[in-house]
Amino acid sequence: MEALKHAVDFSDFKRIDLTVAGALMIFFIVFPITSHSSFAMSTMIQFFMFSLYGMGWNTIGGYGGQVDLGKAQYVGIGAYTTAVMLVRWDTPFWVSMPIGVLLSVSWSFIIGYPLFRLKGHYFAIATIATSLVLKDLFEVWNFVGAARGLEISPIDFQPPDFIHLIFKHDVYYYYVILAFFIIGLLYMNWFRKSRLGFQLRAIKDNEAVAASLGINVHWAKIKTYAIATAFVSVVGSFHACYIKNIEPEDTMSLDISILIALMAMLGGAGSLWGPIIGAGILIPIKSYLKEWLGGMAGLAGIDIIIYALIIMIISAKEPRGVWGIIEKWRQRRGQN
Amino acid sequence: MDILIGSLAAGILIGMVLALVALGLTIIFGVMDIVNFAHGEFLMIGMYTGLLTAQATGVDPLLTLPVAALVGFVLGIGCYALFVRFLLRGPMVAQLLGTFGLMLLLRNLTLLFFGAEDRALHHGILVGKSFELGMGVIVPATKLAAAAFSVLAFWGIWLLMNRTKLGKALTATALNAQGARYVGIDTERMNALAWGIGGATVTIAGALLVNFWSVNPYVGLLFCMIAFAIVALGGFGSVPGAFFAGLIVGLITELPGIWDFVTYTFDVDWMSQVPMTSFKYMWVYVAYFLIMVVRPRGLFGWKH
Repeated sequence: MEALKHAVDFSDFKRIDLTVAGALMIFFIVFPITSHSSFAMSTMIQFFMFSLYGMGWNTIGGYGGQVDLGKAQYVGIGAYTTAVMLVRWDTPFWVSMPIGVLLSVSWSFIIGYPLFRLKGHYFAIATIATSLVLKDLFEVWNFVGAARGLEISPIDFQPPDFIHLIFKHDVYYYYVILAFFIIGLLYMNWFRKSRLGFQLRAIKDNEAVAASLGINVHWAKIKTYAIATAFVSVVGSFHACYIKNIEPEDTMSLDISILIALMAMLGGAGSLWGPIIGAGILIPIKSYLKEWLGGMAGLAGIDIIIYALIIMIISAKEPRGVWGIIEKWRQRRGQN
Repeated sequence: MDILIGSLAAGILIGMVLALVALGLTIIFGVMDIVNFAHGEFLMIGMYTGLLTAQATGVDPLLTLPVAALVGFVLGIGCYALFVRFLLRGPMVAQLLGTFGLMLLLRNLTLLFFGAEDRALHHGILVGKSFELGMGVIVPATKLAAAAFSVLAFWGIWLLMNRTKLGKALTATALNAQGARYVGIDTERMNALAWGIGGATVTIAGALLVNFWSVNPYVGLLFCMIAFAIVALGGFGSVPGAFFAGLIVGLITELPGIWDFVTYTFDVDWMSQVPMTSFKYMWVYVAYFLIMVVRPRGLFGWKH
């Protein structure tokens, strides 16, 4: 009960932030009713998915300061668990999703234990290596369709199937992921005020001091890593039902891992709104640039060039992200 | 038996080239503690430079090495002066993602200009020729030449680092940047120089590699990860470490041959079931992960 009260308590934010957040939330809820293109709809769903990925990354990477560049392996585990169980045994989403989370979290404990003995660059590169090993395994594993991947092809779409999460119209997916998004946001609001959240910030500032205060640094990191993993795995399962066609290349590639970390960093790592702002900026840019520029003849890759320039500018000029800029601006205004 | 010796020879030869690929990464990391994700893209640019110069001028690909080295040197210094310099002030996550952005930029600029198709060299003095080393082992001349040039480049860098004043200044910057500034070394210039040397060595490796490896804009990532593995194994910042680790990683990439040898010699049934060639590069990543966990310093490392 106490936890729930903390989760819905946003009172430490400024009134203007909450007004903007409330207005956006109303927009999110009524968006499907307004007239929109199907492209805008899929962009919105992508936005929610990547916000959730970013929130997961933000626990370990933002609050904990451990740069994890291997989140895609858990997208893969979640997506493949759901897809395999659906295709082979017709298992409902609500059963396969928790199993996917269980598998992901177990795997995260297995590799997390040795991984968190490393620090800084070493940790970051080692997470990439584990992710690539898993991707290579999935590319030759026939049970999960090897490099061709798996396709979920529903025979008929008749009534909206909320049990298996197979819909014909994107609007149902929209509301499902919106529900996940709200739950994730409330969880993150609780998390940042929880004991573990404070422990992580202490670890980020100075590990030796945190350890001297009686925090079990290694265990706190592993626990947080598992939480981040659970977030990513849930959305991975959703991804399988939504995209309906998964391959190792587009669920587990390094680009996905980096994109997840980038969302959070662009918005502002270690803040509640950071990943959402980051996803809100990057996802529309990415998909609309691809639509407008990538389609033109001879301009292949130009969307990623612009996107790469954004990454380079933000990391060189303002590593604290958009939220950092807002806070800096507020501080300056407060002083005058 | 000839499978085994052939695999070992191929592994050692490719290992020498891979070592040269990793050399630039280890120098850059050693001097300024920054992990360069764009390293594989530098290699890819080196490969394109070698290929296009050879095709445009009609000279032998091996003679394009100086051009490649110059392009790499300018590229490295340019990246440092225009971009990486600003990353050094920021936190580690900004450095990692920043060089990743550089990687995406270089890769997609290449894609924009040269297209996505595979390109390969079909002519040259050495292309298509091979030597027989006895016992049925045949070594392509291009690989032999590439390995020889790699060793030469390593020797050159080793001399530069250990026998010249410039090399001593670089080492001093790597050991203690603040101390180096106190004794009058311009560390900013040393950083730029490290990027220049790092870029030049890796583009030379690219120009050697293009003799027997086709190039497309996506070739970089694989080599980047292999280079990370070599640097981790040899120790971040160690030049001799990179060389020996390169040989070891080269042998790891030839594991399928060794696997075949064991399978056929001892007639092990279950071993023939395993599609080992599909796992060719996975072992590099596994080895890398194990090294990181067991001995993060690497075999010859002094940074930790």
